[in-house]
Amino acid sequence: MQQSMYMAVPVFAFLFPLLMTPVVLFAGRRSGLLRNALALATASATFLAVVTLYPRIMAGEIIQFTLFEILPQLQISFRVDFLSFSLAALSAFVWLLCTIYSIDYMAREHAGSRYYPVLIFTLGSCQGIFMAGDFFTLFIFFELMSLIAYILVIHEETSQALKAGYKYLIMTIIGGLALFFGIIITFELAGTVSLNGGPLITETSTLAFIAFISYLIGFGMKAGIFPLHVWLPDAHPVAPSPASALLSGIMLKTGAYGLLRVIFHVFSPAVIQSGGWDKIMGVLAVITILLGSAVALTQDDIKRRLAYSSIGQMGYILLGMSILTEKALIGDIFHIFSHAFMKSALFLAAGAIIWKTGKRLVSEMAGIGREMPFTLGCFSIAALAMIGIPPLNGFLSKWTLGLGALEAGMPLYVLVLLVSSLLNALYYLPIIVPAFFGGIENEHQHGFNIQEATPRMVGPIAILAVATLLFGLLPTNIPFELSRLTAVFLMRGGPF
Amino acid sequence: MTWTMHLPVLIIVVLLCSAFISPLLFRWCRKASAPALLAALLGALAAAVALLVRLYRSGSFSYYLGGWAPPFGIELRADFLRVYMLLVLLGTGLWIFLFALRNLKYELKKEVLGWYYALYALLMASMAGMALTGDLFNLFVFMEICAIASCALISIKETRDCLEASFKYLILSAMGTGCYLLAVALIYMVTGHLNFAMVQQALPEAVALYPNNVLVAMALMVVAFGTKAALFPLHVWLPDAHASAPSPSSAILSGLVIKIYAFAMLLLFYTVIPASLLESIPVTEIVLWLATVGIILASIFAMVQEDVKKMLAYSSIAQIGYIFLGIGLSNRTALVGALYHLLNHSIMKAMLFMAAGVIIHAAGVRSLKKFHGLGRHLPLTLIAFTVGGASMIGLPGTGGLIGKWLLALGALETGRPFFVLVILASSLLNAFYYLPISVNAFVHPLQDGQQAFKPVPRLMLFSLAVGIAAVIFFGIASRPVVEFLEQAVQFLGP
Repeated sequence: MQQSMYMAVPVFAFLFPLLMTPVVLFAGRRSGLLRNALALATASATFLAVVTLYPRIMAGEIIQFTLFEILPQLQISFRVDFLSFSLAALSAFVWLLCTIYSIDYMAREHAGSRYYPVLIFTLGSCQGIFMAGDFFTLFIFFELMSLIAYILVIHEETSQALKAGYKYLIMTIIGGLALFFGIIITFELAGTVSLNGGPLITETSTLAFIAFISYLIGFGMKAGIFPLHVWLPDAHPVAPSPASALLSGIMLKTGAYGLLRVIFHVFSPAVIQSGGWDKIMGVLAVITILLGSAVALTQDDIKRRLAYSSIGQMGYILLGMSILTEKALIGDIFHIFSHAFMKSALFLAAGAIIWKTGKRLVSEMAGIGREMPFTLGCFSIAALAMIGIPPLNGFLSKWTLGLGALEAGMPLYVLVLLVSSLLNALYYLPIIVPAFFGGIENEHQHGFNIQEATPRMVGPIAILAVATLLFGLLPTNIPFELSRLTAVFLMRGGPF
Repeated sequence: MTWTMHLPVLIIVVLLCSAFISPLLFRWCRKASAPALLAALLGALAAAVALLVRLYRSGSFSYYLGGWAPPFGIELRADFLRVYMLLVLLGTGLWIFLFALRNLKYELKKEVLGWYYALYALLMASMAGMALTGDLFNLFVFMEICAIASCALISIKETRDCLEASFKYLILSAMGTGCYLLAVALIYMVTGHLNFAMVQQALPEAVALYPNNVLVAMALMVVAFGTKAALFPLHVWLPDAHASAPSPSSAILSGLVIKIYAFAMLLLFYTVIPASLLESIPVTEIVLWLATVGIILASIFAMVQEDVKKMLAYSSIAQIGYIFLGIGLSNRTALVGALYHLLNHSIMKAMLFMAAGVIIHAAGVRSLKKFHGLGRHLPLTLIAFTVGGASMIGLPGTGGLIGKWLLALGALETGRPFFVLVILASSLLNAFYYLPISVNAFVHPLQDGQQAFKPVPRLMLFSLAVGIAAVIFFGIASRPVVEFLEQAVQFLGP
């Protein structure tokens, strides 16, 4: 009985939001308040459901079961291990905060009755991705999430949004097809696509290489890896800010998650290294990091700048995967956490600024820190974490990544990390410094003229900023511990 | 349970009889004519289900018409494969007829409705006959009935476009049946048989003696069925015919009629022509490449169409290519994929044509450029259109994905990953022409000059809802169907 209850949790976590979608949709026609309450309740319930798994996961248990077979030997199955749990809990948490934030932010926007159901639906499919027990299930949820997120991207229905949305849609379809190709080759070579069976492909061959490249295209598209990032800087900024936070903070990570699964479950680090495929990832990662950061420098629209910064940061995660040592992997997974907190905080803060003042351009934001000190304070913490200032979590992940690179004898990667940190500083500091100290034309502007956004918007930003600080400061914290356990679990192929 | 052995012929006879009764009923007792045909279709479907039950109990069997055993009599076969096709035919046929009941009132003159019912029944009867027959000449007879009924279903609208299209169809279709008749004659010359099983036995010897006869016969067959099923480059009649016909006719022509010819070709290739012969003549290879070119080119043609029904018609050509791809790969998984895609495509294409019919009726627009904003006024219709499009692309949760998965897996199993790429490329092309329609319909505001929307009868919306449910059902509960199909293609060997 106990057992079956825990089995039900993953199903609950993805099915409940999916089932609540029509409820929220119809509630939205009656009353906005009821709709918001239901959406919030769904996000909270999902988060709580995921959290209840914590003791079982920490005890080293892998929860897995098959729902039904969609084709012979092809199941819809679920599995929760360290990696699944880490990301599922992270995404549910950030989703909850963004839902709270949305209540006030979206009150001014149109079509809330469309926004909330979609928000809840993507939450469900995102949980489905992280808890999928095989690649086919993962593929189904991955496509569902990506396609439905299109509605978030075009929410504002401006011609700019529609154009970005169309690009997003086509790229998503291409990514999905590439993924389909990779999965079907895996199925043909191994006879199964389950995550349980250990490495599915144990030797390199042309077909295996094609599969690897397909996976890299499919998941890399989502993660915004160069040269497949082109949709990202258009699509992320045009969405409403809470949706941008989720797109950049969480949905990008589904790509990284998929790649981790590919590296450790479809192939194995040994196969990847023997084929020299880690080099491909390494080169792409370096280009992605430098390109993302460099282009971010030139952007004046704050959300576009943040979007390019996301590309650079996803490059770090890919870099960690290409190094393939335990240390680098810890840094890699911890960076998934860090970036989710930092980037969501930044997008939400940027959203609060836009919501309150209507200013989107960095050049117009001088002096804004004296109007919204709290929001900008949180923005600064997250931005400093991006740069990698100790003791913030961004520093910890970069440090661990750097150590991993040195361990593997690749000091060049450390240099790349440093250069990118410098670039990060170059494009984040010019937002922060003038915000607090700039824009003074006469004496009486010196004081604070506080016009903060509502508490329901500032609250989530503050929580994320505090998380950024705490998870860097505390010597042992849950995300770092989870990252360590996950890395050990993946590298050694077993719990602990 | 002896009466159940008469079921195969009963299905054909019931449908044929209702074809004769329909116009009479329409003249004398107008109200009863549509329910009578509905009852006949339901009865035929029930009989097909009973046939399935019998197959599970006592295996496949042959039925000799009039008790005359071959070589003198005509044989009807009932095995898993044929009954599968029968179920697809009758299920989809019944569903399309439900839609037609309301839709035809807007598309046709009242006087011709009785004739339409008669033709519909005739078409269903001939297709059921093609699915069941085990005799080459009998197949020819049903093909002719089918061709004439289809032409009449197009030209019944009596507009200039329809007449032109149906005339074109009639000519090309007659050429197709002519080729088939020649092929049958050539085979009869060298084997002395018309029965499927007997021809199969006699062919290896005949090939040794008269290789050219058999070679020409096979070529003629590919041309015949290629024309009928719109295999590239013999597809030229299809876009006009399917686009100009009344919407229910388009639905049944695109959904079922082209499929039954592909199915007949499959039967001939795998149950009449011996495997050794198929291996020595690269006919499957030819079909494979024609299908590939068809899939890609037809998708590109579809992209530039402005008329919604023309676009759907070109899309049908691409999709029939998938089925030929499965036939050409001659591998069990691919064949199962082709048959599964046959089911899926008949549902989704029929649904898309129905949705187009509703849009043409309610909003009065045919041009895809004028679809802006329709989603807010005809939500269910446009959702049906979107689901159909999603299934064409092969998005998860729809039957299209399963069919593509099986086809692609079959291609990989034969060691030809190139054809997986073809399938993927075509999916992408499908995305290019299906997605913008849905996006425009739901996102953009209505265009100026859009007339007021006419109300849509409930029955039409109900048919669309059934279609949506079916597409999703076959995308999720695919396992039993696929296992059934694997059993059905046992003849192909492991």
